[in-house]
Amino acid sequence: MHELSFHETTFEKCLKCNACTVSCPISNTTLDFGGPKHLGPELKRMMDHQEVIDDSRIELCTLCGTCDTSCPENVHVSTLTSYAKAIHAKEKGTKFRDIVLSNAELVGKLASTFAPITNMTMKIKPVRKVMQMVLGIHADRQFPSYEFSNFKRRYNKKHATTERKVAYFTGCYATYNAPDVAGSFIKVMEYNGIDVAIPEQKCCGVPMFANGQMKQGLKNAQFNTNSLLEYTRQGYDIVMTCTSCTSAFKKEYASYLKTEEAKELARHIYDADEYLRILNEEGELNTNFATINAKVGYYAPCHMKGQGIGNPAMDILELIPGFEIQDMAAGCCGQCGTFGFKEEKYPYSLELGKTMATAVEELDADYTVTECGMCKNQLDQLTNKQVKHPMQILKSAYEKVPVNS
Amino acid sequence: MYDVIVVGQGLTGLLSAIVAKKQNKKVALVAKGTGKMLQSTGLMDLVPGSNKDFSQWMELYGLSNREKITVKDAINEFKRLTEKIGYQYVGDVDKLANIVTSSGHLKSTALYPKTITPIPEKGRVVIVGFTEIVDFQPEFLKGNLQKERPNLQIKTMSVSLGKDSQRTLTQLDAARVLDEKESREQILKQIKEKMKAESTEGVDLFIFPAALGVQQWEEVHTQFSSELKAKVTEAPGLPPNATAIRLHERLRKEAIKLGVRFYADTEVNGFSEKGTINEITIKMSNRSAKLQSYHLLICTGGILGGGLEQTAKGLKETTLHLSVNKEGSYVDLPDHVYPVGASLGTNVIHYGITGGVYSIVSSYLTNFQMEQSDMRGLQRA
Repeated sequence: MHELSFHETTFEKCLKCNACTVSCPISNTTLDFGGPKHLGPELKRMMDHQEVIDDSRIELCTLCGTCDTSCPENVHVSTLTSYAKAIHAKEKGTKFRDIVLSNAELVGKLASTFAPITNMTMKIKPVRKVMQMVLGIHADRQFPSYEFSNFKRRYNKKHATTERKVAYFTGCYATYNAPDVAGSFIKVMEYNGIDVAIPEQKCCGVPMFANGQMKQGLKNAQFNTNSLLEYTRQGYDIVMTCTSCTSAFKKEYASYLKTEEAKELARHIYDADEYLRILNEEGELNTNFATINAKVGYYAPCHMKGQGIGNPAMDILELIPGFEIQDMAAGCCGQCGTFGFKEEKYPYSLELGKTMATAVEELDADYTVTECGMCKNQLDQLTNKQVKHPMQILKSAYEKVPVNS
Repeated sequence: MYDVIVVGQGLTGLLSAIVAKKQNKKVALVAKGTGKMLQSTGLMDLVPGSNKDFSQWMELYGLSNREKITVKDAINEFKRLTEKIGYQYVGDVDKLANIVTSSGHLKSTALYPKTITPIPEKGRVVIVGFTEIVDFQPEFLKGNLQKERPNLQIKTMSVSLGKDSQRTLTQLDAARVLDEKESREQILKQIKEKMKAESTEGVDLFIFPAALGVQQWEEVHTQFSSELKAKVTEAPGLPPNATAIRLHERLRKEAIKLGVRFYADTEVNGFSEKGTINEITIKMSNRSAKLQSYHLLICTGGILGGGLEQTAKGLKETTLHLSVNKEGSYVDLPDHVYPVGASLGTNVIHYGITGGVYSIVSSYLTNFQMEQSDMRGLQRA
């Protein structure tokens, strides 16, 4: 585990070329942010072997990882900014609100237990005004709804018996907010003759890293690594339906934990669409889809784009007859996980989301498809199109096939 | 399985991917970093750092008169594309334009965006800097420009963007500020006030840093020239120049919208040939994956782009690890592998870059080569 003054050498390759700042969604929206170059490699260069510097401008970094993708020298900029966040949280303390927001899992557990009440309460204006005053969560920010019948109550198989075995890391969003996504994934796997097990798991840690809660985040990372390795070592593939969780396991765990175990696990992590694409390439995918006549817009989450996997959601959805899907090439959604809930970040969040909202309006498709629950939250608030997860579409494409065909 | 895999997302890579995709091919683009267009001026030169004309350029690249038409087609295709994506390029390879850079030196260029106006021989010029942008110094520009154009009457002024910033501002930041209507208005107001105070009149041309808007460049340009009652130009200099960023952002967006699959933040670390199929291994953050294609386009930008590396033993090719000669050209090029633009070796570059026009032409020609190869394949089958 890193200390706050951890040693990291990739930043030495930084040529200060500005590619990260030029590409950074926040830097392109506001001059209030110091930018990834300055708060990443430059700050690190200044601190190395010297005193730790707390720079409050780091609060505006959303850890979207676009800086990492843009760097021609392979500097892990977001690793540096995540530690700048941890330093800031340690020096300045963490707001009660940020502790709450970073504990997406705990919030999910509580909120789904009292789901009908939570969902209703979150829509009452005076309550939200009080929440803004007391907690600093913006009153106008729509919340995703919670479901009492969360995924844990619906499905809890611990072992798979088929030849191809999948262990599903559900993640907080599909567990508490969108159990239908999780359920659809299980169904899609079923149509492909693959048994799915649900390993013991905790929140992937992304909201914690984003709020400077590095210690707690790394604790979760360690827990998940131990738990999931037990599965991969028995021949399971780890599949996820949330691209931020996937990105954490593929990228962050390995570069934060810096252990052989984290690297070993990372090799077995697949995004759900990426996994289906592999099945297709190996001739194992059930391609008996019913026709779905729809014109659909695809919105690519930042954490998907950073994985270097092309566009697996579109690759798979294009296999459905009649299905017309177009990438909107729309930049960052601006919700950025917990960022868009915060009172003082809300105006930035809306500004960031403008290009996305315009792209959705211009395309004027039947509905929007995205893998990310948080992008969906912003899409729900800023556009009037319905938003679906690829797994929900695939499930209905399988289900609509006439029984005797 | 792809029809075409493009390695690199600079000018050459993006153009090649777009051209191929327009032929209804399945196209993937593999890239490490954003490509080097961000560091460029966005101007398309024939031979960078020289005044060589079109016929000298044709000779330099060993192109015959017969190929002139193809070259012109490539350029027209580029102009059509830039118009379609909302950032139109103008200019003519037969008649090079003199453009001023932010150092005040003139350079000859063939194609340039509509935000740029060539520098006249004589007339009244005002150079406007932004106090917050340290990379653009109007007095410095004036000194050098005066030497190049002794008959110009040059004045300078600095106005404020009127924004507090938490970082050192670049031309790109200023350009995004100018995308906002209120900012444009307060900047124009300052310029007019200063002109009045110094009784500056009858100005022919205003020179600004390459910062006249990103998304709204057309509005900025029109508003500035109509309110200042003069022509307006941008003088590109230290990166990031809005002139280049506009092109890069729009080409990328166009490629994504057309359906090119971007494998961002990956590196090629293996290559093999299986008959007519190329297979590359790409390294992602967590593991490696194999991608297959009929054609493989190397658009890695030569030495500057990282496709070639200067070592003690000479040049090394970094993408496929194939052998290259001392000019960096492939010695034994496998069938269906096409180096494009600066990847063809040091013979096609000057001061490290092709300059632009050659990249445009090379991307276009490669597409023909691929088509011919496909036809031969069909004939055999």
